[in-house]
Amino acid sequence: MKNNIRVERAIKNITQAELAEKVGVSRQTINTIESNKYIPSTLLALKIARVFGKTLEEIFSLEEND
Amino acid sequence: MSSIPYIWYRKLDKMSKTKYLFPYNSRFLGIALILVHIPIKLIWDAHYPGGYDHNNPISPGSETPLFSPPHLFFIGTTLMVLVGLFLIAFSKEKIEDEQIVQLRLDSLRWAIYLNYAILLFSLVFTHGSDSKHILMLNIWLPLLFFILRFQWVLYRLNRSSKSDETKL
Repeated sequence: MKNNIRVERAIKNITQAELAEKVGVSRQTINTIESNKYIPSTLLALKIARVFGKTLEEIFSLEEND
Repeated sequence: MSSIPYIWYRKLDKMSKTKYLFPYNSRFLGIALILVHIPIKLIWDAHYPGGYDHNNPISPGSETPLFSPPHLFFIGTTLMVLVGLFLIAFSKEKIEDEQIVQLRLDSLRWAIYLNYAILLFSLVFTHGSDSKHILMLNIWLPLLFFILRFQWVLYRLNRSSKSDETKL
């Protein structure tokens, strides 16, 4: 699964720490999601999408081998 | 619905949300307990230079009281270290989010696998009192493996995200 959180963050001009605080996780978790090392739960993914005011599919997408 | 079961329900609900972990600060109590056992061990060894075997469980018909000095020593050292390790292992992180929960579970599985591999191996290749000592070690070995592995993953997680932070 890949995502464009880093891009969305740049558009909204918020840091990893600020996003982490908004969705109630640690900054490290946001970091590992951005670098595709950790796949968030549906709950967390929905919360992240809500912060950016977008749908889930606009932020997260499946890769070919998923 | 009467009010008492509802209170129980609320309590259970709260407990499931806290994931049965101790508060963050209880890790310091755990470290304190482990440190406290060191002087007890030193004083005991000074008193009984030859060592004093822990004879529990007592065989039937024996006159030895349950809380004999060696048994109290056992409680004050082995069991205190056990409780200390337990508190360190299962205290919450500052932010106990879903990734931490996953790492915790991974480390727990890893610790159990390793522990049972070592246990099986040593029970095959030991006999007599050595086997008893290995079972004694197993009181706290899984917890120790878990703590080491969990802290190592947390360290790696922090390090990798720190190096990313400087790039941003």
